[in-house]
Amino acid sequence: MGGAPAQWWLRWVAATAALCVLPFVLQPYELDLYRKLLFWVALAVSYNFLFGITGQMALSHFAFAGIGGYTVVILLTQADLGLGPAIVAALLLAAVLAFIVSFAATRLEGFYLALATLAFAQLLIIVLDEGGTLTGGTGGLTNYALPTVLGLRIDGPWYALVMVGVLLGTLAILLRIDRSWFGRACRAVRDNSEAAAAMGVDVARTKIVAFTLTSVMAAAAGMVYAFFDNTVNPPVFGIENAFLLLFMVIVGGSGSHAGAIVGAVLLKMSQDILEPVVGHYHALGFGIVVVAAILFQPKGLIGAWDNFRRRMKARR
Amino acid sequence: MTAARKSLIEVRGLTKRFGGLIAVDGLDFALGEGEVLGLIGPNGAGKSTTFNVLTGGYPASAGSVRLDGEEMLGLPPHRIAARGIMRTFQHNMPFEGMSVADNVLVGAHATMRSGLIPVLLGAGAARMEERAARKRADELIDFVGLGEFRDAAVTTLSFGQGRLLETARALAGEPRIMLFDEPAAGLTPSECDRLAEIVRGIAARGISILLIEHDMRFLLPLADRVVVLNFGRKIADGAPDEIRADPAVVDAYLGEAGGVGAAAGSRAGRPDA
Repeated sequence: MGGAPAQWWLRWVAATAALCVLPFVLQPYELDLYRKLLFWVALAVSYNFLFGITGQMALSHFAFAGIGGYTVVILLTQADLGLGPAIVAALLLAAVLAFIVSFAATRLEGFYLALATLAFAQLLIIVLDEGGTLTGGTGGLTNYALPTVLGLRIDGPWYALVMVGVLLGTLAILLRIDRSWFGRACRAVRDNSEAAAAMGVDVARTKIVAFTLTSVMAAAAGMVYAFFDNTVNPPVFGIENAFLLLFMVIVGGSGSHAGAIVGAVLLKMSQDILEPVVGHYHALGFGIVVVAAILFQPKGLIGAWDNFRRRMKARR
Repeated sequence: MTAARKSLIEVRGLTKRFGGLIAVDGLDFALGEGEVLGLIGPNGAGKSTTFNVLTGGYPASAGSVRLDGEEMLGLPPHRIAARGIMRTFQHNMPFEGMSVADNVLVGAHATMRSGLIPVLLGAGAARMEERAARKRADELIDFVGLGEFRDAAVTTLSFGQGRLLETARALAGEPRIMLFDEPAAGLTPSECDRLAEIVRGIAARGISILLIEHDMRFLLPLADRVVVLNFGRKIADGAPDEIRADPAVVDAYLGEAGGVGAAAGSRAGRPDA
């Protein structure tokens, strides 16, 4: 909100333009990395609102992405629904499940909330693995395609724009509500729930709304992901990625939108670069970085950047 | 003078038991509009428990608390706050990850009427409400004298400034009754004087004030009336002068030889000014 309004709009327009032009100049392999990076950034932004801003240590965010992805594919291919109804139904299902999980979870905090949502995420993987023809079992679902929209086939760089849209939509919605009474209530609940209640904040309701909203955002991102390679399988939505998402937010700077974006971009890109070289050992490196971040820079890279800027200003 | 005031809140037979311990035992008192009522008593007399029951933190074991005739007991804390009973905490409880201004704006939470959808759509009414809330928060920050810290992180405030922030935050909820839990504790003499001015200013706005305080030098000039608790029971209720002279109060709390001055000095642990 700071600065002149015109400047503020210009920045958004410039960022949107850059994100939209990039798919058309990238090589096919880079384009694949790029759209998956956008998927991770979108998830990190909504997860930051849940974990970093509302203070809910949930591990179910990737599970909801999976629910969104699988549901829309199943409804399209097995229930013969149109694309519009399938999207709406999948978002509704994610919302209902998120509401149920968060309603049960509002009594839990910290460690226990993490365990309960972890159990939910594991349960989803079991359902996906054992779902027979409905979910395609451990191999997942393949050989489907995005239906044409108004007679147009959306693919290649054009489909990457859909992910850009979901990312910017997620960011715009969360920035807007973060600067309202709702965002302040979320932060108050995170910092001191007793004081928040004494100031008139309905703590349970705030947690449920934040959890449901961000989980539906994860489901929306998961839906777009499902048509990247026209395949969905259980490991993608498993616990390993849920932890990587948590790492991204912590390393970037939990509670900061910019931090979530920086953390997601850095960790995802280093995974893409390191994995072909050192294989699965990149996870070891991430673990060390996360421990170091928690010990030495709890506010993440964004916190370090803020400190640096403050020091430079003080020197002048 | 106080008797003529219409009572805003009426507490009848308020009782709180923790297992076999009776922390508050059949407490009765009333509070008029714009009245400053002091609640005093030795440590463990049940003052803070009374506050926690009034604000919904603990469920009461028996009794009633009526605000303008409406029963408050049984309501959750956020609903009681929304009815206009706001409090400060004995140990400052700021929202540490937020700026001073945002802390105060959280206090205004229950006064915000716009739903999440209008906020999301940037509806005119929601924006106007947000702007008005920010303006009011700024006024309150100036009122308590924290103007220069408006955008600072709350972690940079001193203890005394934190106390002022708690006051501004609670006022942002447009309270009808303000509950102060030992506001003078830990403050320097000059900070105490400033806080006393602020409390008078709040009362002058027609807001009723209930004050727990050990520091008699702070409380007695400020209070219209004082209720004295001992072992959870009310042992006196009257004007500060009557309380000072009441033998039961002197015996239980104020102490004998030195009277009020000694009690104030020793209990508050602050140097004589």
